[in-house]
Amino acid sequence: MSIDVNNVSKSFITKDKDFTAVKDINLHVDDGEFICLLGPSGCGKTTLLRMIGGLETPDSGEIYADGNLVEGPSKDRGFIFQQYSLFPWLNVLDNVTFGLNITENDKKEENIQAAERYLDRVGLSDFKYSYPHELSGGMKQRVAIVRSLLNHTPILLMDEPFSAVDMQNRHSLQEQLLGVWKRFETTIVFVTHDVDEAVFLADKIVIMDKNPGRIQQIVEVDLPRIRKRDSKEFLDLLEYVESLLGVWED
Amino acid sequence: MDVKNKFLPFILPIIILIVWYLITEQLHLIPYYVLPSPVDVLSAAYKIIINGSLLKNTVDTLIKVFLGIGLASLIAIPLGIVLGWSRTLERFCSLIISILRPVPPIAWIPFAILWFGIGLSSAVFVIFLGCVFTVLVYTIDGVRRTDKVLVESAQTLGASDWDVLTKVIWPSSIPYIVSGLKVGVSIGLMCTISSEMIASTSGLGYMILTASQLFDPGTTVIGILVIGVIGIAFDFVFRRIQERIFW
Repeated sequence: MSIDVNNVSKSFITKDKDFTAVKDINLHVDDGEFICLLGPSGCGKTTLLRMIGGLETPDSGEIYADGNLVEGPSKDRGFIFQQYSLFPWLNVLDNVTFGLNITENDKKEENIQAAERYLDRVGLSDFKYSYPHELSGGMKQRVAIVRSLLNHTPILLMDEPFSAVDMQNRHSLQEQLLGVWKRFETTIVFVTHDVDEAVFLADKIVIMDKNPGRIQQIVEVDLPRIRKRDSKEFLDLLEYVESLLGVWED
Repeated sequence: MDVKNKFLPFILPIIILIVWYLITEQLHLIPYYVLPSPVDVLSAAYKIIINGSLLKNTVDTLIKVFLGIGLASLIAIPLGIVLGWSRTLERFCSLIISILRPVPPIAWIPFAILWFGIGLSSAVFVIFLGCVFTVLVYTIDGVRRTDKVLVESAQTLGASDWDVLTKVIWPSSIPYIVSGLKVGVSIGLMCTISSEMIASTSGLGYMILTASQLFDPGTTVIGILVIGVIGIAFDFVFRRIQERIFW
């Protein structure tokens, strides 16, 4: 599913003043593309992602998913939050079937079978009866991703999902995510402030600037996957993107 | 260490019992009608257990507590969810809730008698007023404290407003509602005893008051002890429930 962001602006009214989160954003994401929104804190990347998800409304401009105007949250735009977002009173199996049990309520048995298959694939089958408080941070995010995928979401919006995970686990989660993205041909918009993560994952890196938040530059990444972090091409690109970020890192 | 801890709470009551026995039954320092001796209490207990009045009055009191708290929950929990959901409605009702909430429920007894007469309904009415605001305020709080991320997660998984209410906000408020019920029940028990003393012809409160008028202080002591035991029992049950709610 493609995404179109047309002339979108958004401000927030805080106590002392209006804060312009993003201004005049135009962005096109192709069906099946992996996009990273990269920028410093306060550049509005999360706000932009939340607007695509329908969790915030733009002040002006429109957002379209597959040609349809975004007017609120939908199961077609799965969202992975930075904070852990599993339902603490449900075990892993009930968490991942939450969406399916709403949309396909009459097929509870099949939903459970599908969930077990998916959990098996990401190595969580031993934890299907565990509760969120018994899981590590990385496992919680994997469960959250399975929960969205199981819901047949064509678009996955991810807001710094691995930022609370230690580096070693983060790298393995990134590789798993690429596997999932390839297999399901999901369109992914992934917010991060980690240059390495963006260069490793994205087809295109959308670099954002702050005050007000807007798109500074879009960098295409042509390197074949799985990308080697120690290859010259990877390191060159990393340096290049860092130099672009350095412009506003005073 | 473990054994010591287990028996520690029982030491003080045993000491009190011995001192009580000595100053009343042995040394006769205090006359019977001021403080009955443990032996008097036992014989009073024997009498009211045998003639069934203790059981009857205890059951009467419990029925009132359950009716009152049940009625209060029936009103307060749905209303609390609605008021927690809508800021506007909550503002609309906020002043009346803040005014009525601190009023001791006993203050309603004159109206209770006027509207419902002496008996079960007026006691239930007073107990209802005693716990309805507590349960209401805890429920509103529980709904308010629902993690926004959980609501948004559900919405991006295709949940309607009704799904969000029943599958996210409701389970997430349960721990607060249970806390509200726990406080509500203890208030309810107090209201029950007081209203039985004034506006009822049955129950432990009525039994305590009648006994004192009949110079039967042994029965009064039994009434007090049974109320204490009921309190402990409620506390135990709620603690068990709260242990099972782990989120």
